Amino acid sequence: MYKLWEFLERAHTGPFCENDEFTFKIFMPKVKEVVKKYNIKFDPNNPVPSDDDLADRVWKAAVELFLEVGVLNVDTHRRIMVSESELKEALYHYPGRFMVGQGSDVRLWENRHPEETKAPFCIFSPDITYDEELMLPSSIAYVQEPLADGVCGPILEESIGMKIKSGAPSEMSGVLQHAMTLRQACRMVGRPGMFMVAVGTAQSDTGQIAVSNEEWGVRTSDARLIGALTEFRIDNELMNKIAHLKQYGGHIGCLSGSIYGGYAGRAEGAAVLEVAYHLVGLTIYQGTFNNSFPFHLHYTSNSGREMLWLVSIKHQAISRNSRYLSTSNGFLNAGPGTEMVLYEAAAHGLASTVSGGHLWEAAPTHNKFRNYATPVEARMACEVGHAVAMQGMTRVKANEIVNKLLAKYENNIADAPKGKSFQECYNVKTVKPETWYLDMFKKVKDEVAEMGVEFPY
Amino acid sequence: MSNIESLVKAVTEGDETAAVQAAQVVVDEKIPVGAVIDALTGGMREIGEQFARMEIFLPEMMESAHVMKAVLKVLEPAMKEQSAFSEKKGIVVLATVEGDMHEIGKDIVMNLLEVHGFEVHDMGINVNALDIVNEAVKVGANIIGVSALMTTTMPQQRDLIEILKAKGLRDQFHVIFGGAPVTSEWVEESGADSWGENAAVAVKILENVTKEK
Repeated sequence: MYKLWEFLERAHTGPFCENDEFTFKIFMPKVKEVVKKYNIKFDPNNPVPSDDDLADRVWKAAVELFLEVGVLNVDTHRRIMVSESELKEALYHYPGRFMVGQGSDVRLWENRHPEETKAPFCIFSPDITYDEELMLPSSIAYVQEPLADGVCGPILEESIGMKIKSGAPSEMSGVLQHAMTLRQACRMVGRPGMFMVAVGTAQSDTGQIAVSNEEWGVRTSDARLIGALTEFRIDNELMNKIAHLKQYGGHIGCLSGSIYGGYAGRAEGAAVLEVAYHLVGLTIYQGTFNNSFPFHLHYTSNSGREMLWLVSIKHQAISRNSRYLSTSNGFLNAGPGTEMVLYEAAAHGLASTVSGGHLWEAAPTHNKFRNYATPVEARMACEVGHAVAMQGMTRVKANEIVNKLLAKYENNIADAPKGKSFQECYNVKTVKPETWYLDMFKKVKDEVAEMGVEFPY
Repeated sequence: MSNIESLVKAVTEGDETAAVQAAQVVVDEKIPVGAVIDALTGGMREIGEQFARMEIFLPEMMESAHVMKAVLKVLEPAMKEQSAFSEKKGIVVLATVEGDMHEIGKDIVMNLLEVHGFEVHDMGINVNALDIVNEAVKVGANIIGVSALMTTTMPQQRDLIEILKAKGLRDQFHVIFGGAPVTSEWVEESGADSWGENAAVAVKILENVTKEK
C-alpha cells in the first residue's frame, strides 16, 4: 500500500482550484503544450505505429502532464499533486505480476511488451446492461468462454422488478444479485474461483462496499473498477472506494477513458491523457491495473482509424516504460450478429496485443443498447490476440492487417448496423450461440487468417 | 476585412487577445452594436455546425465560447446604451442528475445552446432533482435539461418529472433528457417531453419548441 493515506489526504491539503480554472487554465493548455513539445503526431496511414521513439515521447508527455496538473477533487476543490520522485518510487515498487482468482482457476497476470509472444490476459465483458431474467444465462455465456482469464459480468438495470437507483435501497438489492449471480455462473460452469471484476451494477461507494464477501460476493482475489472522472478529476465517493478496497484487500482497476474530441483534443492529446490516467491509477488509485477505454466523442467507440492509433500508441508507451498492467477495452460500432462487429473486434484485439496491452473485450453497438452484446465478439478479439502473440507478430505486419480490416468497415462507422440482441444470437436455454452466428464467426476468422493471422485452432 | 469581420474571425478562432482588441475598436468607432451581435451570432452558429460536422471538437468550441463571453463584456456598455440586447430564444436550466458525475455531454449541450441564442443556467453535476426544479422556477426558465450517464442514475430524471407533477408545475417546462443510456422508450416511460440523442439534436428540438411557443 504505497502512500495511500498521504495521497488521499492531499485531497484536503493540495492547492485550491475551482472547476473551470482547472479545465481551461491548467489542464487544456498543458495538454496542448506537451503534445507540441514532444512532437506527437497522429499518422492515419499507420494505425499501428512502430516508432519506439514516438511511444517514449508520449510517455514523457504523459508524465509531465500528470506531475504538473495533478488530479482535482471536485468535492474539496483541491488538486492532488504527486512528485516526480514519488512517481518513480511507485513505478519501482509496482510488482508487474499478480496472482488473481482462486484454486484451479488462479491465473498469473503479468506485464507484456510490444511484439511480445506471451498471450494477453483476457477479460470477457459485455460492458452493458441486460434484462434481469437474462442475467444468469448471459453470465454463464461469458464465464464459459475458454480464453476468459477473468470475467466482468452483465450489468443489471432492474432487481426484483425494481428500477435500480444509485444510492437507494434498490441498488443494494441489485449489487447483491449481480455478485451472487455471477458467482453462481462461475460455479455452474465449473470455474468457481474465476477472477471476477465486479460489480458494475454498483455505482455508489456503499454499493461496492456491500458486495465485499469471500463466500458469495467479490473476493480479495477479484477486482473492482473505480472510475476516473472526466478529465483528471476524482471525488470523495471514489476515494471511499479506494480506501475500502485497499483495506479489504481486493484488486483495484482504475477505469479510464480519455475522449477523442474532448478537453484533451484529438488523437494526440487523448493518447497522452490516457497514458497519464495510468499514472493516476498507479499512484492515487493504488491500482493493480487500468481498464482503458479511450473513445470517440461522437461515436463512443475505439475501433476507427484514429482510435486504433491512439489505442496502439498508448499501450506501447505504457508497456515500454513501465510494468503497469493495462487492459484494452474494445468499444465497437456495430452490434452483435454482424460481420462488421467481428472485423472491428479483430482489429481492436490485434492492435492492442502487438502494442503490449492486455484485452478487455468487448462493448458493441456504441455501448448503448441493453442486451446488445455477446461473448462471440469478445471471442474474436481474444482469439486474434492470442494468435498474434503466439506467432510474435511485428507491429509492421499488424499495421498491414489492421489497414485491411479497416477497409472492410471504416466507411460504415457512422451508420453501423445495430445487429441483434443476445437472445437473438444465443439459445438462452442451452447458452450456446446460434449456428448462423458461429458460421459468420468462422467466415470472418478465415478471412482474418488469410490476412496473415496464424490461429492455433 | 472589415472591423466586424476581424472580430468574428478572432472569436471563432478562439483568440481572446485579438477579439477583445477588435471589440474595443468596434466600440470606439461606434459601429451599431446590433449589427455586431448579429455577425457574432452567425459566427458562433457556424462554430456549432463545424462541431456537428466533426471539423472541430470540444476544445475549439469551448475556446470560442469563452472568447465570446469576453467580447460581450467589452460590448456590454454600448449594448445598454443602444438597447441592443437580442432576445433570448429560451431560458434553459441544465444539470447532470444526482449521483452522476459526468459533465462533458452536458457542457457540449450548454455551449451549443448558448451559441444558438439560448440563455443557459448550468447547475453542474450531481444535482438534486428538487434543486433543479427550484432553480428553474427562480430564473424563470421554460426548459429543463437533465443528463444521466448511468443506468442507475437515470431514475433521477424520472424523479424530476414526478416532482414537477407534485408541485403542479409540469406544464410550465419543456423537459428534455440526455445521456448515453437514455432512449426514446425511457423518455416516454418517464413522461419527459423530448430526447436529445446528441447535442445537435437537442438544440434543434429546443429551437423548434421555442418557435412553436
